[in-house]
Amino acid sequence: MMKTRISTEWLSGCSGCHVAVVDLHEKLIKLIDDVEFVRIPVLMDEKGYPEADVGLVEGAIRSKHDRKSLLRMRETCKTLIAFGTCAVYGGPSGIGWLYGKDTILNKIYTDTVTASPDGKFPDGAPELEQSVTPLNEVVEIDFYIPGCPPHPYFIALAVKTLLGASVPAISTKTVCSACNRRMEKREGVKLQRGISTAPEEDICFLSQGVICLGSVTLDRCQAQCPIKGIACAGCAGPSIDIITEPHLDIRTMIAKRMSLLTGIDSLEIVDYMQKEARTFYSYALSSPVIYKKPTVEIREWAGR
Amino acid sequence: MIKITIDEDACVGCELCVDECPTDVFEFNEEKQIPEVVREKECFGCLSCSEICPATAITHEDIIHSEDYYHDEENLKLASKLAVDVPLLHTPSDDKHREAALGDLGIRLLSVASIFRQTLGGSFPAVGTMAGRTLATQLPRYRVPESLQEALDIAVQQFAPTWDIKPEYDGSSKLEIKVGTCFIRELCVEEGIELGGDLCVLFYNYMAGYIGKLGNARLKLIESCPGSKECKYDVEVFVK
Repeated sequence: MMKTRISTEWLSGCSGCHVAVVDLHEKLIKLIDDVEFVRIPVLMDEKGYPEADVGLVEGAIRSKHDRKSLLRMRETCKTLIAFGTCAVYGGPSGIGWLYGKDTILNKIYTDTVTASPDGKFPDGAPELEQSVTPLNEVVEIDFYIPGCPPHPYFIALAVKTLLGASVPAISTKTVCSACNRRMEKREGVKLQRGISTAPEEDICFLSQGVICLGSVTLDRCQAQCPIKGIACAGCAGPSIDIITEPHLDIRTMIAKRMSLLTGIDSLEIVDYMQKEARTFYSYALSSPVIYKKPTVEIREWAGR
Repeated sequence: MIKITIDEDACVGCELCVDECPTDVFEFNEEKQIPEVVREKECFGCLSCSEICPATAITHEDIIHSEDYYHDEENLKLASKLAVDVPLLHTPSDDKHREAALGDLGIRLLSVASIFRQTLGGSFPAVGTMAGRTLATQLPRYRVPESLQEALDIAVQQFAPTWDIKPEYDGSSKLEIKVGTCFIRELCVEEGIELGGDLCVLFYNYMAGYIGKLGNARLKLIESCPGSKECKYDVEVFVK
């Protein structure tokens, strides 16, 4: 039997998605019987782009080199998968969207105390692009596996499907659907930072005044964080309704739900989310899914 | 008749659907801590309950979906590739509806252009410039561009894919803008509207106003050359 050839590439990302493949543990050994990795940057030294049946691309496009690599991957792979949230939505490096290229480079190489004394930029590094671009802005993508990193359960599902198993039913619901905390209405709750309080068990974060993005995030994690007491950061990207409905937005939806549960004014919640760093949108910030929304006024937000 | 299903495993018992429903379709079962559908025939399919539901546990069958052109095609494509059975909240595009909507829009745009022409005479292009400048201050974007070139990049991105704008700027006082795909041109061809007419002039100025405001420059339209595949127009740049 011909083995399925898998080629992977690593653009502007942290390699976490590649490590998640290793998290398949014993399943990985079984997998090797059916597939052949022809290119996998964290494990082997392959500089070229061999022909492959399946291509997994991790990371977003941040530099000219990333763009070229992606185009080469599209040419050489029959099926191309955007692997991980950076590839699908731009991911945390999408915050680079808020600043110009020069601002970022100057901040790193000339404006800090640790900058080189001659103020020179290093040679040989690929040129940065003006902004961060998710993969589907540049090439046609066949499948998306969001998650930061994708949960091994979904990686296994995806690989099995590509090897010929029947297409599985994957959840299109939000993280809340898998969470076992109960949402309840409360009075006299104040907004508070999640990390500064010990959350009550079995009660939803929103009811306790802590912002949790579970209700606007696609369930690709089986609610691991909220179940263990950490509010959802939205790492699998926006939920289906946020993606498809132009008028629904992460901040406004969270504010609306939280305000109905706790009585806190929804404008106060939106304001709070805007003041708290710019990480509330961090995973899908540079995706047109979010930045083209009419309700998002990131320009004003960034200017504050 | 509309059929409502509640996924009991997914439900988190927040009661928000009970509060939101304008026709009191739901009642909360305190014992099981989930809402129940008690007056299903009262439902008129506003979908407020499925919108507010944090766990997306409520689904409706037999409802009238919104038209496809209200949605972003790219986003729908992305959503459909995230899982196989993505619930459709829209009607797949129908050529007849699209044509009717285009026709409607064509007549409106044309009449707006001719009203400007009649009331303002020769100075009507200024309306386009003003509209473009207003757009530049209102459109969501992340950062303030540092140069005209950066403003052009942003404009290209913002107008794609409905408009395919190809600016050529070498840093001098002349800027050449080519427009490939153009929604207004398609509309004009379809509705038999003359190319390069009032509508186009308004659009050229609109674009110049937008780019100028973004890039902190003043752009003045010099010459335009409409074509059935590609339009080209030259702009003089006064950097502030």
